[in-house]
Amino acid sequence: MEWWEVLVQQTINGLTRGAVFALIALGYTMVYGIVELINFAHGDVFMLGLFISLAWFTLLGVTTTLGPWQLITILPLVFLLTMLTTALLNVSIDRLAYRPLRRSTRLAPLITAIGVSFMLENLALLWKGPAPIAYPDVFPSVDILREWFGVESAIFVTTKDILVVGATIPLMIALNYFVTRTRWGKAMRATAQDRETAQAMGIDVERTILLTFFVGGALAGAAGVIQGMYYNIGMWWMGYQAGLRAFTAAVLGGIGNMPGAALGGLVIGFLSAWSDQYISARWTNAIVFSILILVLVFRPQGLLGDRTPEKV
Amino acid sequence: MTARRGLGGFALAALLIGYPFLDRALGLQTVHAVSDGMIYVLLALGLNIVVGYAGMLDLGYAAFFAIGAYAMGLLNSPVLGSPLYGYAWSFWLCIWIAAAVSALLGTLIGAPTLRVRGDYLAIITLGFGEIIPVAIRNLGDVTVEIGGWRPVERLNLTGGENGVNPVGRPYLPGVPFETDPVPWYFLILVIGLFSLWAMSRLQDSRLGRAWMAIREDETAADCTGVNPISTKLLAFALGASFSGFAGSIYAAKLQAITPGAFEFQVSIMLLCMVVLGGAGSLKGVILGAMLITLFDRVVLAEATFFLRWLGRSLGVPLLVTADLTLWRWFFFGLGLVLVMLLRPQGLAGRRIRPMLVPDTDDAVEVAPPPAPRVEAIPGWLRERAHRVGAAAGTGPILEVRGLVKRFGGIVALNEIDLVVPRGSIIGLIGPNGAGKTTFFNVVTGLVRPDGGVITFEGRPLAGLRPNAIVARGIARTFQSIRLFANMTVLENVLVGEHCRLRSTVPGAVFRPPAVMAEEARARERARGLLAFVGLADKDGDLARNLPYGDQRRLEIARALATEPRLLLLDEPTAGMNPRETETLTELIGLVRRELALSVLLIEHDMQVVMTISDRITVLDYGTRIAEGTPAEIQRHPRVIEAYLGTGYEPAAPGGAI
Repeated sequence: MEWWEVLVQQTINGLTRGAVFALIALGYTMVYGIVELINFAHGDVFMLGLFISLAWFTLLGVTTTLGPWQLITILPLVFLLTMLTTALLNVSIDRLAYRPLRRSTRLAPLITAIGVSFMLENLALLWKGPAPIAYPDVFPSVDILREWFGVESAIFVTTKDILVVGATIPLMIALNYFVTRTRWGKAMRATAQDRETAQAMGIDVERTILLTFFVGGALAGAAGVIQGMYYNIGMWWMGYQAGLRAFTAAVLGGIGNMPGAALGGLVIGFLSAWSDQYISARWTNAIVFSILILVLVFRPQGLLGDRTPEKV
Repeated sequence: MTARRGLGGFALAALLIGYPFLDRALGLQTVHAVSDGMIYVLLALGLNIVVGYAGMLDLGYAAFFAIGAYAMGLLNSPVLGSPLYGYAWSFWLCIWIAAAVSALLGTLIGAPTLRVRGDYLAIITLGFGEIIPVAIRNLGDVTVEIGGWRPVERLNLTGGENGVNPVGRPYLPGVPFETDPVPWYFLILVIGLFSLWAMSRLQDSRLGRAWMAIREDETAADCTGVNPISTKLLAFALGASFSGFAGSIYAAKLQAITPGAFEFQVSIMLLCMVVLGGAGSLKGVILGAMLITLFDRVVLAEATFFLRWLGRSLGVPLLVTADLTLWRWFFFGLGLVLVMLLRPQGLAGRRIRPMLVPDTDDAVEVAPPPAPRVEAIPGWLRERAHRVGAAAGTGPILEVRGLVKRFGGIVALNEIDLVVPRGSIIGLIGPNGAGKTTFFNVVTGLVRPDGGVITFEGRPLAGLRPNAIVARGIARTFQSIRLFANMTVLENVLVGEHCRLRSTVPGAVFRPPAVMAEEARARERARGLLAFVGLADKDGDLARNLPYGDQRRLEIARALATEPRLLLLDEPTAGMNPRETETLTELIGLVRRELALSVLLIEHDMQVVMTISDRITVLDYGTRIAEGTPAEIQRHPRVIEAYLGTGYEPAAPGGAI
């Protein structure tokens, strides 16, 4: 491969990774925006999304590559079912572990979030065992450049890459519409700005928080389905890792800022892919966390966020 | 009572000393496990300094454990050819180096986290906790290649995945560290007990109080003379040095260290110990660490045996194959959640009593505060005032010229001039949002001005942090009371004296006579101040449990404890009943008269302002609209307009506006 082909290939890899990070990061950023909690368990909801989608596929009898009709019937159905399951999971986590601590110190719910994260990870470990699980190759993989366009190139773009982008962009557009154009979205934005005032204006704050966890969980579930179909592998510990990278993305974009989370996801996707290629995959984690630390220390409002001074 | 406690202490000591022999006599062979458990107790105690005292959630504490272990491993092992390996004294030297290296890295890692918020700080420590094992893994085989040129080739810095093995053991003549677990037990016991002793002394010292003040309210601590930066760094460094000790013993005892032993899970297990027992309580942390170690090593295994036995007896195949030890981390997670939900203060933490609320509004007559008396003024404060008064110059104590502060497009302070002559009371009034509190925040260093000069006793205050301004001699109270809620009344005042005390870490631990005398004097002074403001019998109560009026007076006592020459009071009588207001007004007049203290006062109660102020400055929309004596201000047309709108006929002088 020529050097530019390597770069293009890694950039495409970065794009697909980044799309998944962005979907997870949106859940972090929405929850943080509204209850100021780093939902540490969010990455594990994503991991469970992958496992749960596999269970839905199995229940629906899918074990091999989907045919054309199945792609427009079963695939959206599995997306929907998985998103619903993880959304409900996320909502129950909030109800059980975070809601009782709403008036407590800021660190108390963070500690419970870590506890929930451990519980979810170990439930997955006990459910599927410690070894990586194989995710069936349900989505057809076609080498687009060669088979559709007849171009001989070392660069490898498949229909799976199209799937990632094709599933992520509509989800983000839908989310953006939901948040900026609907009544519920308006309630969410108002609650994020000032919970007390929102309450005084007649917004049911607890229901709005519930809705936020619901939407965040659904996005994490979708990310889990995409991850499974793209990489065909799932590990019980992947949620921790992906969660931290996605959280880094959310912080990088400006925590609480939704376009920022999407942007941050892409940036982290590109950086991690390039780091794998040009430095060493062994160092990628250290590099991502260094970015996290540098952003938190030098630009805590992120790329797109606003600085909020402390009230005295 | 003391006899019983003494007996209990004796029994505990006998148990700790006799345990390994008892173990041998009974053939239990648990000394190894107990010693390992004690290493974790030591780690949890170190983490408690950071989390429990200073209130910083550290999610990467295992990194310091790793640093301690690797410092010992690399210095005292043949793997990387360390020149220190193989001597009898190596271990005894390396254990100090390891602690020092950990403390140094603790400071380096702590430094960038100091200005960020609590939850961000947690994430940063987690980031470091992830980076350090990655670095240890990858630095075992470093090759740097830049376009065919290899300046570094296959360099081994850490032993990589293989870890470090063997590590030099401690050596004492005639003590079999190689074969017997008992010497290890006593080594760890001695270090553990020494650490415990040092920590209990630190907790009850100037430094311990500063940590707790930071934990309770960082801004208020800063404005009471506690330097948040150095205080937090000290917590990080001390916490890290304890884990440096623990890590180096761990390395020498285990004889092999691998990067896998220091991952995120270890940090979380240690956090579980601290949270379960009760962050901030030494007994609690020891209890938590023992319970979790016991649970991890004994209960899970025994419960598995029991379940399998039950399964075999009842013929349930699911139970026969059950293995609860696989559920270990699940239970830790569950434990964290349950403790936070059900008992957030931990098993041994101080129970936080509910706020005292009178049963009905007027059935319970709260005893009126005693009137302030001249005789009640603490002698030391009066002496100091006279000393300073004699030395002071004649110029104004505070001089503010052309002060400007903008928030975005809003000009909160627009070219404000204000002079506080020595020994005067200056009132600062204006409608809500006029910029009064912003003015205080700028003078006390919480907010940086965009222009103008502030001169205190002839020297500019530009660029000073709030705690440095307190040290210069300006103290303040807050509009919304900001006490250290979970500290006692006495401790609140002692924090006020922080910047006038000198004791350091070794001083706090070893308590030489000078430190003891200083501490005794500080307490005496604090009690005197409490008596002066009318809180004499409440010094042991938690600040959060005081009634509202008492909290206001405690805040003033805390401010006076910093030995100020200028006192800034932000609406001191807000929310007080007329009787309390009257007492407080007298108190303010008294400190000015008797202590030559200058006072700058924000107040909405016009009766109060007009009675005690020498001169008054009026702000409106960030601009000074009037300045003069109370009588002048009451007649000033712009003041009347700002408060009441146009078309108002002035009332008789002396009445409320």
